[in-house]
Amino acid sequence: MKVISVWDLPLRLFHWLLVVSVVAAYVSAKVGGAWIDWHGRIGLFIVGLLIFRIVWGFLGSTHARFKTFFPTFSRLVAYFKGHWHGIGHNPLGALSVLALLTLVATQVGSGLFANDDISFTGPLASLVDKEQSDQFTRWHNSSFNILLVLVILHVVAIVYHRLIKKNNLVGPMVTGKKKVPKELAEKVAPSINTAVGPLRLALSLIISVTVVWSVSGAISLTSSAPTENVQQAAQVSAGF
Amino acid sequence: MKKKILVTLLLAATASAAFAGPIEEQIRFRQSAYSYLSWNTAKIKKQVVDSPETFNKDYVAAAANAIAAVANSGLGELYGPGTDQGTGWKPTRLKAEFFQKKDEVTTVANNFNVAANELAKVAATGDKAAIKDAFGKVTESCKACHDLARIKE
Repeated sequence: MKVISVWDLPLRLFHWLLVVSVVAAYVSAKVGGAWIDWHGRIGLFIVGLLIFRIVWGFLGSTHARFKTFFPTFSRLVAYFKGHWHGIGHNPLGALSVLALLTLVATQVGSGLFANDDISFTGPLASLVDKEQSDQFTRWHNSSFNILLVLVILHVVAIVYHRLIKKNNLVGPMVTGKKKVPKELAEKVAPSINTAVGPLRLALSLIISVTVVWSVSGAISLTSSAPTENVQQAAQVSAGF
Repeated sequence: MKKKILVTLLLAATASAAFAGPIEEQIRFRQSAYSYLSWNTAKIKKQVVDSPETFNKDYVAAAANAIAAVANSGLGELYGPGTDQGTGWKPTRLKAEFFQKKDEVTTVANNFNVAANELAKVAATGDKAAIKDAFGKVTESCKACHDLARIKE
């Protein structure tokens, strides 16, 4: 057996920050009250994580790249026949990865336009009317249930790999390193690049921060002219 | 004060003669009440939480008083038997359980009432941080009732 690097540090950070953020988003939504504002902030943070992961799927190290693990039909067939021998996401796991990313994207995407009918509106909710915002809210609620099912499947699969297939998936996601048979390690070694390009990393971060900034309402997407009227309206006028 | 609120709520919840008009009308009135509430919570949210630099004491106090006025208006009268079905401005989302969970309903209604009155009291002082806290308590009470009695879409 040989220990080799599989997951680069940015990818691992992404993964665990996403875990923490999704749990925090869930809790803050359940608690409600003033915490709903944190729910919104956490949601924006998840937007950043997600955009980073997508960009990193093109600019990251070998096993972070979509083209390395994209679950094509032939890869899936090979996997089910027991012919798949790789060290990154296996094709079935890759399906799960893509499904989870899609669901999280649906969550944050709908959340941006949603409202809680109390005091919270997503940062982009003002771009749509209330009826539409309510529709986004319904999607936000219903897609969460699908996400929850996928997360449970994800965890069950990890336990299954651990107990039945004697394959520790959590360890490598923490350390980045994985024990693989020597022949396999030697076979894949030439095609693996585990180095994190600082420029690529910087570019990925810049892109994700820019997207978060744009959707957070930091850019006023509507004209800034009405501000003055709002200011005037935001005083109590005497009488009516 | 608290006693008075409770008595009002209980009266409203038990004496069927006190319900305000036909089912559709009760639903329409209460939908209007919550719609008006949301206008006022949005104002406070804007000036106290989202853009505190725009804080205007009188404006926020007026909104808080409006919320307290709605809370103190005896909304229980608008929840007569059978009003879990029907259409006001739009179909009601009141859960049927509302009528079985009287104790819990009384608790959340009472919490809203207390929180709304506290908000109005604090808003009069113009203490932004205190208003923010009191406002958080109000929105918490909104959610508690939504979770208990409102059909989730």
